[in-house]
Amino acid sequence: MAQQANISELLSMLDSSALGVLDDITTVFKENLNSDRGPMLVNTLVDYYLETSSQQVLRILTTLQEPHDKHLMDKINEYVGKAATRLPVLSLLGHVIRLQPPWKHKLSQAPLLPSLLKCLKTDTDVVILTTGVLVLITMLPMIPQSGKQYLHDFFDIFGRLSSWCLKNPGHVTEIYLVHLHASVYALFHRLYGMYPCNFVSFLRSHYSMKENLETFEEVVKPMMEHVRIHPELVTGSKDHELDPCRWKRLETHDVVIECAKISLDPTEASYEDGYSVSQQISARFHHRPTDATISPHVDTQNSYGNATSTPYSTPRLALLNTPGQLPQVLSSTTRLSTEPSQATIWSPSSVCGMTTPPTSPGNVPPELSHPYSKVFGTSGGKGTPLGTPATSPPPPCHSDDYVHISPPQAIVMPPKKEDRLDSVRPCLHRQQHLSNDRGLEETSDNKGSVTLRDLPGFLVDLDSEEDSVEKDKEEAAISKELSEITTSDAEPVVPRGGFDSPFYRDSLPCSQRKSHLTSSNTQGPSVSTEPLTSSLDKLGPDTPKQAFTPIDRPCGCASESPAGNRENQTSLETNIFTPSPKIPSQRKVGFGSGQSPPYDHLFEMALPKTAYHFVSKKTEELLKKVKGNTEEDYMPSTSPMEVLDRLIQQGADAHTKELNKLSLPSKSVDWTHFGGSPPSDEIHTLRNQLLLLHNQLLYERFKRQQHALRNRRLLRKVIKATALEEHNAAMKDQLKLQEKDIQMWKVSMQKEQARYNQLQEERDTVVTQLHSQIRQLQHDREEFYNQSQELQTKLEDCRNMIADLRLELKKANNKVCHRELLLSQVSQKLSNSESVQQQMEFLNRQLLVLGEVNELYLEQLQNKHADTTQEVEMMKASYRKELEKNRSHLLQQNQRLDTSQKRILELESHLAKKDHLLLEQKKYLEDVKLQARGQLQAVESRYEAQKRIAQAFELKILDLYGRLEKDGLLKKLEEKTEAAEAAEERLDCCNEGCPDSLVGHNEEAAGRNGETKTPKSGSSRGSSGSRGGGGSSSSSSELSTPEKPPNQRVGPFSSRWETTLETSTSIPVTVGSLPSSKSFLAIKARELFRNKSESQCDEDGLTNNSLSETLKTELYKDPSTEAKAPLGLDNPHPSPKNQESVGQLRIMDYNETQHEPS
Amino acid sequence: MAEDTQRNFRSVYYEKVGFRGVEEKKSLEILLKDDPLGILPPHHESHAQVMMCRKEQYTDVLHALKVIRFVSDSTPQVDVYLRMYQLESGTLPRSPSFPLEPEDEVFLAIAKAMEEMVEDNVDCYWLIRCFVSQLNNKFRDSLPQLPKAFEQYLNLEDSRLLNHMKMCSAVTKLPYDLWFQKCFAGCLPESSLQRVWDKVISGSCKILVFVAVEILLTFKIKVMALNNAEKITKFLENIPQDSSDAIVSKAIDLWHKHCGTPVHSV
Repeated sequence: MAQQANISELLSMLDSSALGVLDDITTVFKENLNSDRGPMLVNTLVDYYLETSSQQVLRILTTLQEPHDKHLMDKINEYVGKAATRLPVLSLLGHVIRLQPPWKHKLSQAPLLPSLLKCLKTDTDVVILTTGVLVLITMLPMIPQSGKQYLHDFFDIFGRLSSWCLKNPGHVTEIYLVHLHASVYALFHRLYGMYPCNFVSFLRSHYSMKENLETFEEVVKPMMEHVRIHPELVTGSKDHELDPCRWKRLETHDVVIECAKISLDPTEASYEDGYSVSQQISARFHHRPTDATISPHVDTQNSYGNATSTPYSTPRLALLNTPGQLPQVLSSTTRLSTEPSQATIWSPSSVCGMTTPPTSPGNVPPELSHPYSKVFGTSGGKGTPLGTPATSPPPPCHSDDYVHISPPQAIVMPPKKEDRLDSVRPCLHRQQHLSNDRGLEETSDNKGSVTLRDLPGFLVDLDSEEDSVEKDKEEAAISKELSEITTSDAEPVVPRGGFDSPFYRDSLPCSQRKSHLTSSNTQGPSVSTEPLTSSLDKLGPDTPKQAFTPIDRPCGCASESPAGNRENQTSLETNIFTPSPKIPSQRKVGFGSGQSPPYDHLFEMALPKTAYHFVSKKTEELLKKVKGNTEEDYMPSTSPMEVLDRLIQQGADAHTKELNKLSLPSKSVDWTHFGGSPPSDEIHTLRNQLLLLHNQLLYERFKRQQHALRNRRLLRKVIKATALEEHNAAMKDQLKLQEKDIQMWKVSMQKEQARYNQLQEERDTVVTQLHSQIRQLQHDREEFYNQSQELQTKLEDCRNMIADLRLELKKANNKVCHRELLLSQVSQKLSNSESVQQQMEFLNRQLLVLGEVNELYLEQLQNKHADTTQEVEMMKASYRKELEKNRSHLLQQNQRLDTSQKRILELESHLAKKDHLLLEQKKYLEDVKLQARGQLQAVESRYEAQKRIAQAFELKILDLYGRLEKDGLLKKLEEKTEAAEAAEERLDCCNEGCPDSLVGHNEEAAGRNGETKTPKSGSSRGSSGSRGGGGSSSSSSELSTPEKPPNQRVGPFSSRWETTLETSTSIPVTVGSLPSSKSFLAIKARELFRNKSESQCDEDGLTNNSLSETLKTELYKDPSTEAKAPLGLDNPHPSPKNQESVGQLRIMDYNETQHEPS
Repeated sequence: MAEDTQRNFRSVYYEKVGFRGVEEKKSLEILLKDDPLGILPPHHESHAQVMMCRKEQYTDVLHALKVIRFVSDSTPQVDVYLRMYQLESGTLPRSPSFPLEPEDEVFLAIAKAMEEMVEDNVDCYWLIRCFVSQLNNKFRDSLPQLPKAFEQYLNLEDSRLLNHMKMCSAVTKLPYDLWFQKCFAGCLPESSLQRVWDKVISGSCKILVFVAVEILLTFKIKVMALNNAEKITKFLENIPQDSSDAIVSKAIDLWHKHCGTPVHSV
């Protein structure tokens, strides 16, 4: 509560008049707001504001920081809902929004917006509606993307309000409707500018309904006359224009300008690059109304246009020139005596290279004006950009005005308009027009001055001056915003003009009043412009330009208007002005100083050319305009703005008239003084009207701010462009220099080339010379070469000749030698022949002698020849016989030889056969030998077996004997034991004896035994018997000795046993040596064997002899063996001994057989 | 070689397909032309006479044994063979009741096996006699070396098994007598034994080693399972007979692998 109280205390203190306290409290609030995030304080502030409309609170509220915006919005939203507080809250909202708080983007999401829309849709109070619509219009460019959701709300509102305008369901005063109409008009512009497609489709659908048709005809259609076709209608779509991307890159002021661009309403329109042609067309079309209202200006324009040949003026001239204007024009031209020259100098047509500069309108008959206008219109289109190369800042004029105060201002302003399509001129027109309407019958020349004079009558000079200054500045700002060419008709300030009519009135009088001065003054600038166009150097002396900056305009505005208003004007006026938030802060300073900001001159430096143009134009135009007369003309359609404008002007005029009737001091005090107590209704209406006006003003101000923002940006662009231009120029210079260089280089190069060519030619000549020399030399050389060749061939020939000669010489020598040899031979032969001759002679002699002898012998022979023939024949016969005999003998011999040879062959074959046979037989023998060996081995093994058997038997027998003797015969005990021992010994011996050495043993034994036993066993038995005895056993010889005694003792039995033993052992030997076959081969082999053995016998002596003998005997023994087998029965042993007995018998047989053949 | 052309030209393919034994008989025949045992001479003409001799010798010896009452008609044929051999080698004990020598046991085992193979008593006796005498004469030096060779080849084939047996100290206690003295007589069935003996008769006593190795390899798992030397020996003395053919075939392969293939079997 304490805090609450504290706050209310503070709030009350806010209105304190002490500046210090005010500041303190403001800071306290701000601190509080910074520290406290709750809604409480804001709510309190809002409440307080609604209660008191305190400016301080408003300031605090409008500068609220981020966290509190929500509270503020909520609070406003809350109050919007209540009908009672709706109006003030809406105005508060307007204030807040117009300042474009940093949180403005939140507006689209805030619940405030729908409630505002709802209020607009439902409310019936015109004041609230107008205020709300204005707030909405202000808000729209800030939240363009939110259009999506509320678009139809906007359209509905538009539809409702437009119909409202017509039908007036609330039956409010007409005057309100004018305001409402103006705001609806603004809304129309905004919506059409921002969402053309949607809006047009809405219009189409909404006004296709019959009930709305009237509204369309009456309200909407006229509005549509003031807009161009929006390009978006062609290129865009419903969706595209709602696309956030479209809005993203546009700032608020961009949106505002976008909307202004499509407007044909001079009070709204704004044009920038790329619109020139269309603008002109629209300008032409749109011109009429303005011209109608502002005929004097048209005249001035015309005159000026003629003089300057600006495109804008000319069309206008063509269109609007009236006979009545001519004198004025003329007069104006006379006044601006210097202008023509100036115009000619900088005319765009001349720049464009146009051959025929535009003729002055004065000279042109009205009939011809149209074609001309066209010509100029087109030419102007081109010319304008040239004429105003860059956006010229209008400010200079203002500054100029500002510095020079009112008189020059008034004069300067019009030209501005003319040149830059400023709004100033329309304003002026309007004022003049209004004055005309008011029935202030005055000549066109004086009209402006008359009205002006009227106005200043009420107002203090200072005020008016200030106001005008402010006004000018505003205009300047607007003109700046409209920077570029724009149509000449653009009159953006109309509403403001309406608002500011008091100031206009003030300003105009001022300007008009001082027009005398201005004429002289303006001439100064205008004169100066002349040089300016030609060269920039003269800018310096021109003071007017330097003062202006777009920035200081607000301050100016702020500074002046309130100052005057507050103190001197009626409460109404104060009310109007107080809301402007900027005013308080800067007022005093601005006012006090009344100077241009220190950086003004910088603009001059930065934009010298454009600025100068601008200024010069303006001055000229103004000069003309001042002289311009009004001309009433038909208005095809008046913009609601203008209607409002006019209404206000009228109201203001009426007001001033009324006020004029009163004494100054009482004027502000009481209404009743002059009209009694006014009807409350009237007062209310007036108040509301005032409020509406205020709202309108604020809206326009907002727009102006947007324009200013834009202006600044454009200015920056201008600066850049000029800088670039400068740069370009510099570059061009450089380029020129370089081109010069290049030229120089080219020249020198040509020179060098010439020299080079010369040198080359020289060189060529030298070369050709040398070549010819070389050729000559080569030729010489070849000749020499040929000569030498010839010589060489000659040399060769000579050599050949010499060789030939030498050969010939040799040959000759040879021949000589040969001859010599021949000679010697011949000589020898000669000698020989001589000797032969001698011999021949000798022989001849001999021959002779012999011949004689022969003859002698012949004689003798003939005597002896008859006796020898018989003897010879006999001898021949004997020889013949002898020959025959020999021949037969030879034959015989041959035959013998043949036979013997045959015989030899036969024998040889026989021998071969025999050899073969022998070989075969040898093979066979081998075969047989093998066979025999196998058999022999078998038999041997059998023999071995037999031997073993025998041993076994022996053993057994001895064993049995042993037993027998033991058991039966005691007396023979000793003998038997001996025998047993002997048997045992023998067995041992047998066991010891190796089978391998058995045969050898036997033979040795046999040898020994044979020697030893032959005497014993008797010679009759022969060698075989002795052999048998020897072969009996190896041990037999040893045994024989000990055995003998028992043998003898035992008698025949023992002896027989012995013999059997002996014979049995001998058997294998005999058998083994027996070849079984009786074949021829076998016999032969045996013979061979025998021979061998015989030869062995010779060597070995007796023993071997006996062996061979046995072999011999066996040949004959074989067949008899079996036959003698039965003889074995004599054997005393029983049957088991059969085998042995056979062997025994065989031996015995052998002996017998041996005996038999022998 | 002339004989090679006479041999079955498919022999090569038999072996490729895996019929190992097909050609053994043929090669044996070729071998036997030389009569490795010496029972019959190579000369055909004397066969009859020699066979008669053999027969007579057999009857003589048998008769003699009967006479001295070493054998009777009721005596088992194997004992008869033994007595006959003893008689022929002069080692006949004085009484048939005398205990048998170890070599006699060997003889008996071989005779038993041979008796199964051959029907004729004479042939059988001669085969036994010559086989045993070959073992005693020809292989007298090489037979004692066989255990060593056995160890060596077993090491080559399966050292783990050998190590296991060494661990069990069973190596020295293996039935070497059964394997190398009796030539697996009584250890392998006669059908398999024939093939082994064929090799032995042909002159290779090493085959015995490989048979032994193969037996161990075949029964490796069981042998490895046994930790006791006695048990191992006992098991090896009584190996199952069903896989003997495979054992012999593998042993022959092993023999070929280690000792190279004999020329005649190529």
